[in-house]
Amino acid sequence: MLDYALVGRVLVALSRRSVSTQFRRAQLVMPTFVLPLMLMAVITSGTGAARDLPGYPTVDSYLSFIIAGSIIQGALLAGLTTGIALASDIESGFFDRLLAAPVPRSTLVLGRLSGTVVLGVIQSAFFLAVAFVFGASYPGGPLAILATICLAALTAAGIGGLAAAIALRTGSLSLMQSIFPFVFVLLFTAPAFFPRELLTDTLRDVAVYNPLTYVVEGARGLLGGNRELGDPWLGLAAAVGLLIATTVLATAALQERLRRT
Amino acid sequence: MIAAWPLTLALWRRSLNEVTRVRGALLPATIAPLVFLLGMSGQFGSLTDLEGFPTDSYLSWIVPLSCLQGAGFAGAATGVNLARDIEQGWFDRMLVSPVPRGVLILGPILGAVSRAMVPVTVVLIVGLAIGAELTGGVLGVVSLYVASAGFCAVAALFGVFVAVTLRTQQAGPLMQQGVFLGVFLSTAYTPEVLLRGWLADVAHLNPATQILEFGRQATVEGIEPSFASTWPGLAALAGLGLALGSLAMFGLHRMNR
Repeated sequence: MLDYALVGRVLVALSRRSVSTQFRRAQLVMPTFVLPLMLMAVITSGTGAARDLPGYPTVDSYLSFIIAGSIIQGALLAGLTTGIALASDIESGFFDRLLAAPVPRSTLVLGRLSGTVVLGVIQSAFFLAVAFVFGASYPGGPLAILATICLAALTAAGIGGLAAAIALRTGSLSLMQSIFPFVFVLLFTAPAFFPRELLTDTLRDVAVYNPLTYVVEGARGLLGGNRELGDPWLGLAAAVGLLIATTVLATAALQERLRRT
Repeated sequence: MIAAWPLTLALWRRSLNEVTRVRGALLPATIAPLVFLLGMSGQFGSLTDLEGFPTDSYLSWIVPLSCLQGAGFAGAATGVNLARDIEQGWFDRMLVSPVPRGVLILGPILGAVSRAMVPVTVVLIVGLAIGAELTGGVLGVVSLYVASAGFCAVAALFGVFVAVTLRTQQAGPLMQQGVFLGVFLSTAYTPEVLLRGWLADVAHLNPATQILEFGRQATVEGIEPSFASTWPGLAALAGLGLALGSLAMFGLHRMNR
């Protein structure tokens, strides 16, 4: 008989550990909190003249348009650090000790992913607040801000599931650290910082198949209070679809690891 | 006193061993600038339609940036490797050897510059293959390689300074973010006339802007190979090298005490 109270306690404990580890290690905090903000600042000033391009959507401020991309970038990096931390646990032997605990094995993956959800919430709220201080406006209102934070958290967990699957399959910390550039492939093949209509032809064709396209446009539509910038429901469907698919992958990777060990 | 050159060459070779003995060691350092090259040119390609943009090929604008980025990351890796040597006690053994302190960092820096040539060459070849223009000819290519090698050495000196100051591999992200900031707080995305707000002022003062201009002689139509485009880049490299080299040496001497 499954003890739901025990499972709940394990989930909370693993989630809390996951978040506290994140804030204790400089090499995890820098990419998840500092890098996206730096890129946001540089892109906003560096490409701000793009608003003069024909076809660029009318927005209150350029930063308000860019912020959705930065939030999704943060979610990607938060997801990746989930895999890095898991690989570190596997290499150090901590994960093997967890396997000996009398709880369903999937709880170990879900605990890690729930930590990623919490991280995604903290991170996206922080980015929205910083952007607001520097002049971004959110005509969509408070509910839209909350919905955007949810979208970001779901996306972070979705990417976290993918990273956890790779970590469980390989158990290699150095490999997880090496896939850092590939995260940017997902980011740059979505209209993260530029409207889809103004991307190059090839990228526009590729963007259609990237679920992050719909997430970033959905967040943009929410924050801007303008459905023409993106459909929030499509964004939600993409984020949930990504989460389900990658959680299945991570769970399968865990089963495979258990068979091997 | 041990002769400096044999030791420099030995440390250079040791630094290169990390590439030849670890399979795929150069892959992330090469893939990252390539991803940025392809991603940024795809995202921001329409910026060339803006008045004041010196070329109609955004790829040509971005290729030198990605080359510098790849070289910079290769340089920063010197600091990460040195921090690892310090943590493992290997560098302490080097410090007791009767050689000038500078020799201990010269070998790894030469190793970084050699390693950096791989991402620089790959980015240049891929960039040209997918549409960047080689407007500066041989002189332009030489400029791009000199700018990349110089930037790699400067980044390596910065990495060494951070490593001997903090003495932990945990400082690795700081070294990489330093390079990242150095490159992107410049005319990375657009020329100076199109920058907005604070970045326009920062880019004007940032020596990386001059180094980028030096490298852009290879591929950007509006920046022809000339002494006028070259000397500010060389001066920026010399200034940064002197400043960061002094800091690195100061850190080394302090560590020795």
